[in-house]
Amino acid sequence: MVIIASARARKHFTARLMLTKLGIMEEHERGVSKRQLGAFMALVGIIGFGAILAIDVVDVGREGGIGPAQTIALALMAVCAIIGLSLIPLGDAPA
Amino acid sequence: MTLPRSRIYALLMSAATAALLFSFVVYLIYAANLLSFPYDYDQGEGFELHDTVLYSRFQLPYGDTESYPFYGSIYPPLFHVMAAPFVWFFGPAYWYGRLLGFLGSLLSAAAIYYAVCRDGRGNRWIALLSALAFLSSNFVYHIGPLYRQHTMMVTFETLAVVVLAGAFPRRCKRGIAIGILFLICAGYTKQLAAFTALAAFAWMFLRQPGRALRCLLVFALAGAAVFLWLNIATDGQWWLQTIVANVNDIILDQAFGLLILWVKLHGLLLIPAALLIIYELYLDRLSLYSVWFVFSALLGSIAASKWGAGDSYFVTSIAAACILSGIFFSRILANDWRLPRQIGKTTMIKIANASLIIVPLLYLGYARATLKMPTAGAFAPLAAALGVEGNVREDFYDSATFFVGGYARIGYLLGADDRAAGDEITRLIVAADGPVLSEEAGFALAAGRDVVGNPAQLRNLHLAGRFDGSQLIEMIDGGEFGIIVLRAHFYPPPVLHAIARRYEQTHTIHMNGFDYMILHPKALDDGSARSVGNSG
Repeated sequence: MVIIASARARKHFTARLMLTKLGIMEEHERGVSKRQLGAFMALVGIIGFGAILAIDVVDVGREGGIGPAQTIALALMAVCAIIGLSLIPLGDAPA
Repeated sequence: MTLPRSRIYALLMSAATAALLFSFVVYLIYAANLLSFPYDYDQGEGFELHDTVLYSRFQLPYGDTESYPFYGSIYPPLFHVMAAPFVWFFGPAYWYGRLLGFLGSLLSAAAIYYAVCRDGRGNRWIALLSALAFLSSNFVYHIGPLYRQHTMMVTFETLAVVVLAGAFPRRCKRGIAIGILFLICAGYTKQLAAFTALAAFAWMFLRQPGRALRCLLVFALAGAAVFLWLNIATDGQWWLQTIVANVNDIILDQAFGLLILWVKLHGLLLIPAALLIIYELYLDRLSLYSVWFVFSALLGSIAASKWGAGDSYFVTSIAAACILSGIFFSRILANDWRLPRQIGKTTMIKIANASLIIVPLLYLGYARATLKMPTAGAFAPLAAALGVEGNVREDFYDSATFFVGGYARIGYLLGADDRAAGDEITRLIVAADGPVLSEEAGFALAAGRDVVGNPAQLRNLHLAGRFDGSQLIEMIDGGEFGIIVLRAHFYPPPVLHAIARRYEQTHTIHMNGFDYMILHPKALDDGSARSVGNSG
C-alpha cells in the first residue's frame, strides 16, 4: 500500500488522479496501434476509391471517362487500402 | 554494434564529401553572384521586395486591387517582416532578402545534420553528407539565394519537425511549444507549410492522441488569432489576396514533369528513405520524419500541378528525404535493426559490410546526379575532365536541364551585360513621364517610382472573378502610364488587350536570358502622345 506522507503530496496525487480519470491528463497514454492505423487506412482507401469512381456516376454530364488525374487518385487509394489491410494483422504493436 | 571502418570506406567517403563540398562551393559562388545583382533574377522577387518596403513603413501589402496602385500580395508576412529592418538602413535592395534566404538554407542543412546525428546513432560523417546533400539538390540551389519566402518556410518547417521529433516523445513542454511556434512561423511565411503542420499533428496523434489534440487546439487558436487580426486589419483583403487568389488552374503535365525530375535527381536518396519508412511501418514505430516525407511528397506533388507552382514545391520533401536517408545509412552501417528471427544475424552483418562500399557510392552517385557548375573560366578544365558542356547557357551546366514545365529557369551566373541591361531599363523608366506599369517591380523601385500592380496576382484574381480592372484599363486607354515593361505577359487578358490598343513596343532589352519588352504610348492623331524616353 502506498502511503502518501504530506498533505500537499496527497492533494497533488488526488488532483492528478482526477485529471487522469477525466481524460484531461493521461499518465501513460496509449498510442494508435498498427491494427487501428491499418483499419483507418483501409477504410480511407476503400471509401476514397468508391467515391472517385462515383464521380462519373453522379456527374453524368462529364465526358471522357476516367481521366489521368482520376486514375492516379484511384491508384493512390488502392495503395492506401492495401497498406492498411497489411497492417491489420500486426495487432496492438504501436504504429 | 559498429563495424570497423575499412580504408576503402574512408577513401570513398572522402570522395563523396569532396564531391558534395564542390557542389557547396558552386552554391556559394551562385549566392555571391546573386547578392551583387541589383535587379530581378527570378520572376516576382521585386514584388517581395516591395512587400518588405511596405512593412518597413508599417503598411500591410493586402490592398484593394481595383484602385491605384492596384497592388495586393499573395504571400503571408513573416519573411518580409524579417527583412523590413534592413530597409531602414539600406533602402530597397535585393541583397538582404537573398542573404536571408541563403542563410535559411544553411540553417535547414544544420538542422538536418543535427537530426541525423541525434537520431542516427551519432554518425557525424553521414550527418554531414546528409546536410551537404540537401544543399546540393538542384531545387534547393535554385531558390536558396533568391528574394523569395519559400526557403525560409522550409527552414521553419525543418526546425519544427526536428524539435518536435525530439520533444514530443519525451513530453518536453518547452520543446513542444517551440516546435508549434516554428510551425506557426512556417505557415505565416508561406501557405504551403500547411502540409507539414498536417504531418506533425498526424504523427503526434499516432503517438499520444490526447496530447496531440491539446497541442492542435493551442496551434489552431494561435494561428486563427493572427489570421483574424490580419483579415480585420485589411478589411477582408487578406482572405481575398492570400486564399482566394491562391486557387489556380491545374496543369497535370507540369506536376508529372516535376515529379519525374524529382525522382531522377534525388532517387539515390529517395530509395533508402522509402526503405526506412517501410521498416518503421511494419517493424518499428513511424517517426515524424517518415510521416513528414509522405505528406510533403504526396501533397507537394499535387500542389505542384498548380499554375505558378514549381520545383520549389518539392524542397520540403527533399529535406525529409535527406534526414531519412541519413538515418537509414547510419543504422545500416551500425547494423542497428530490430528484425524478425528469420533474418539471420549473419545476413545483416554481410549487409552492413557491403554498405561500407554502397553508402559512399550512393552519395557519390547523388553528387553526380545533381551536378551543376559553370563550364567556363576557372571551371573549364574541370568541366572538360568531367565531360560536361554548357546546357543552360553556353557557360553553365545543370543536370536538371530546363525542359520541364514549372522548373525554375535560373541557376546560371549573371554577368556585366545583365546588369547593364537592367540599368538601361531603369534609365528608360526615369526618362519617361508619368507612372510605370512593370512586370518586375525592381526597375520601378530603382527609378524611385510607385510599384503599380502585381501581374500574376491580378491574373489570379481575374480568373477567380474578383478583379474587374476597369480603373487600370481606363488609365491604360488614357495613355497615363509613361512606360510599360512586359516580360511574361502575366496581366489578365483585358489588361493586355488595352496595352496592345494604346501602346507600342519601342525597345527589346535582353536580361537574365529573357526579353523585356519596353512599350510607350502610341502617337495619337492629335499628336498628343507622351514623350518617348531617349533610347540612346
